[in-house]
Amino acid sequence: MKKISRRRFVEGTSAGIVAVAAIPAAEAQQKAPVTAAQPGVPRTTIKVIVNGVERRMEVEDRWTLVELLRDHLNLTGTKIGCDRGECGACTVLVDGTPLYSCSQLAVWMNGRSIQTVEGLAKNGKLDPLQEAFIQHDAPQCGYCTSGQLMIAKALLVKNARPTHDEVRTAMTGNLCRCSNYNHYVEAVMAASGTAPSTGGGNAA
Amino acid sequence: MTPLKTVGHATHRIDALQRVTGAAKYTSDIHLPGMLYARVLRSPHPHARIRKIDLAKAMVLPGVKAILTHENCDITWGSGDQLNQRRLFNNPVRFAGDPVAAIAAVDRHVAEDAMHLIEVDYEVLPFLTDLEEALKPGAVKIHETGNLSLNNQRQPQPQTYRRGSVADGLKAADRLFEDNFTSAHHNNAQLEIRVSIAEWAGDKLTVHAATQGIANCRTDIARDLKMNVDNVRVISEYMGGGFGNKNQCQDSDLIAAMLSEQAGAPVKLEFTRKEDFVAVHGRWSSRQSYKVGVKNDGTLTAIQLTALTGAGAYRKSSCDLSGTEIYQVPNLETSVSPVYTNTAVAANYRAPAYPQGVFGIESLMDDVAYALKMDPMEFRLKNMTRKFRDQTPYTSIGLEDCIRKGAEKFGWKQRWKPVAGSGDGPVKRGAGMAMGMFGSGLGRSSAVVRLDGQGQYHLHVGVTDVGTAAKTTMGLIAAEELGVPLEKVTVVWGDTDTCPYSVGESGSRTTVQTGMAVIEAVRDLKKQIAEKGVPKGNEVLTAMATTNPAQLQGQSRNSFAVHFAEVEVNVETGHAIVTRFVSAHDSGRVVNPLTAQSQVQGGAIQGIGMALHEELLYDKRSGLPLNAGYYGARIMTHLDAPLVDVVWVETDEPYGPFGAKTLGEPTIIPTVAAVANAIYNAIGRRVKSLPITRDKILGVLA
Repeated sequence: MKKISRRRFVEGTSAGIVAVAAIPAAEAQQKAPVTAAQPGVPRTTIKVIVNGVERRMEVEDRWTLVELLRDHLNLTGTKIGCDRGECGACTVLVDGTPLYSCSQLAVWMNGRSIQTVEGLAKNGKLDPLQEAFIQHDAPQCGYCTSGQLMIAKALLVKNARPTHDEVRTAMTGNLCRCSNYNHYVEAVMAASGTAPSTGGGNAA
Repeated sequence: MTPLKTVGHATHRIDALQRVTGAAKYTSDIHLPGMLYARVLRSPHPHARIRKIDLAKAMVLPGVKAILTHENCDITWGSGDQLNQRRLFNNPVRFAGDPVAAIAAVDRHVAEDAMHLIEVDYEVLPFLTDLEEALKPGAVKIHETGNLSLNNQRQPQPQTYRRGSVADGLKAADRLFEDNFTSAHHNNAQLEIRVSIAEWAGDKLTVHAATQGIANCRTDIARDLKMNVDNVRVISEYMGGGFGNKNQCQDSDLIAAMLSEQAGAPVKLEFTRKEDFVAVHGRWSSRQSYKVGVKNDGTLTAIQLTALTGAGAYRKSSCDLSGTEIYQVPNLETSVSPVYTNTAVAANYRAPAYPQGVFGIESLMDDVAYALKMDPMEFRLKNMTRKFRDQTPYTSIGLEDCIRKGAEKFGWKQRWKPVAGSGDGPVKRGAGMAMGMFGSGLGRSSAVVRLDGQGQYHLHVGVTDVGTAAKTTMGLIAAEELGVPLEKVTVVWGDTDTCPYSVGESGSRTTVQTGMAVIEAVRDLKKQIAEKGVPKGNEVLTAMATTNPAQLQGQSRNSFAVHFAEVEVNVETGHAIVTRFVSAHDSGRVVNPLTAQSQVQGGAIQGIGMALHEELLYDKRSGLPLNAGYYGARIMTHLDAPLVDVVWVETDEPYGPFGAKTLGEPTIIPTVAAVANAIYNAIGRRVKSLPITRDKILGVLA
């Protein structure tokens, strides 16, 4: 069997990062790394801002961003649904741009600012999207919810009053197997203050 | 139906805050000190005997802590096969994806590196991917008993049901109809990949499992590892979906436990998405042949179903087919034969035997209605079930109301075209409908409720909440029976150390069975309060109940559903989309309209994927799966999803918690057939094989 390393795979398939305006500083969970880097493996020291907090850390070159967040920064709100860029459960904002964190290498994050679901609430106050997700029962099992929140956040920053088709288009890279798409769209519309009388869906 | 104070009012989930802030800890989010990370090496061949496994290179890789193969681990996975002895590691391997070895190492990269260092010498055997080929004389035997799986009586015969005489019924008919339908193996594909974490403390084992039922998972683990059940603890506080994929105990739970024992450290075993598609299980495929007799006035005289179902390499579930029970017919015979092939295992997926069976019978019934020049809705109103198997009265039945109210909401009279396929232009619209039903029996489950000296009620229920809002539902039922607001009830869930037996979130039983236990426990607590007074300070009152399963006395308890779909089909490209959808449901009283609506909308949208896209494809020449993963499976996305309107038909059901019946699984049962019938109405041609992909639509139009 031909071996393809994680790094080569990610480098071969992932598009480069487009830097846009930095997001405001967010609260961050300050916790010790859960697992350390392994000896004898190439590694690099990077400086990243995670949910508003600057951190300097040594990462293995083969770590993906989602691995850095979950296994080494204890930010487990970001989920892995496929680990191959298909489902969107691992969506985070990098310099404001929504990216699948399973398809980014941690070393590429040097100098960048990352926002995860843990950074959405500010000063103990939920983001309007989080409020709307609760009220409209957007999460069923909840496993895709962090990703749906982050892609919706990116959309509303760019387009504060989207139509429901714009919401569906923006979020279509985020799968929900409970298929609670109607309530997800309804919640995003409510958070944007433009709730339609009906939820999402193909117009009849 | 009398309105209630708490039950029946839209209430957001009690754990919604945790789910939207990332605070909810799912199994894969748990990290124990010193925990190792495991991977499974799987067979690259569909059928092979392992001659030799060389672990030498893998064992010396720094960071590798334990390796299991069939040579050092002969644990039988009891819930992996109902009929054959299926071990964690089998020799021969019977499908591409059958586990060959498992490795625990210090992190996932070392485990993956070690996987590539294991050398396996296989003797490749002939293999089978096709059901009919598997039954031909001389076909290679996948199990000793042959490729026709044993029936529920353990005989090499089909599973059969009969009432009346089909021969007589067909003789009495004015018109006869015969047709064949097929459905494909497709995957549950829940977002949370299978994951287990095992940790030993002396002879006590704790498993953090992504399971639909902590109690059953625990007893299964104890049975398979030959342990006292008291020494096994199963924890599952947040669960990322299953749809039948995570019933009972899974091989990952057992493999993690055995690796942990060998390594002397906690072990996390996470499957990959590809493994989830090929090596867990999906819905069984089917080949259905029907004969139907009908009078000129549309009265059914006989239905006969003969079918093969695709069990895959092991027999993990019933592999049965349902659907014919939705019709009133004096003469009915069904014969279903599960067949082994060297492909992914098939087992429970949301209403396991139903959507594919309903697709077959409801497609054919649609054809009968058109042939008799009857409106398919009128045909169903005439022939729908009135008694279970034409014999046992239902405790309540809102099927007719589901048809009528659903049709009204949908606009059936305006949207259904009497002449199928009519209309100008390349994009044709059409409307279709279908019926479904599902058992909602009462059964054994337990609950404990206690009142502390501060006036707070604590409800202990062994639910995990697979996305159904079961925790909230249990809290609502307790609050209603107590006559207190929901905030006064703290729900404790997800841990066998703190929760009594609950039936498991499969078979759509939790609301009904555990809900009844909650009511009975609360009634006992209220009695105690009346006798002893309200506890003060450090005092506490505790009550518990285990429900008695038998109390229906010759009645059948079922939920009913009727779905309506409108589609647009482009006859030049074969592209079909669902533009309007109505789900009408009789699930008795709706406990929580907010979360119930989520389930109904989600079930329908999931079912549309089954109707139009999803199939795990196998290459017949290599026996290997071709499209494992989300891209290949084409599950529904935001842009595919129509708005689903929900119509509740709340029957006055005398049994169950406040008259609630089953909901989760009925939500997908008629969906597929409704979409298929809408496509027929749009284009005037019948696609008889699931999924109804573009090439098949263009094929029937050619």
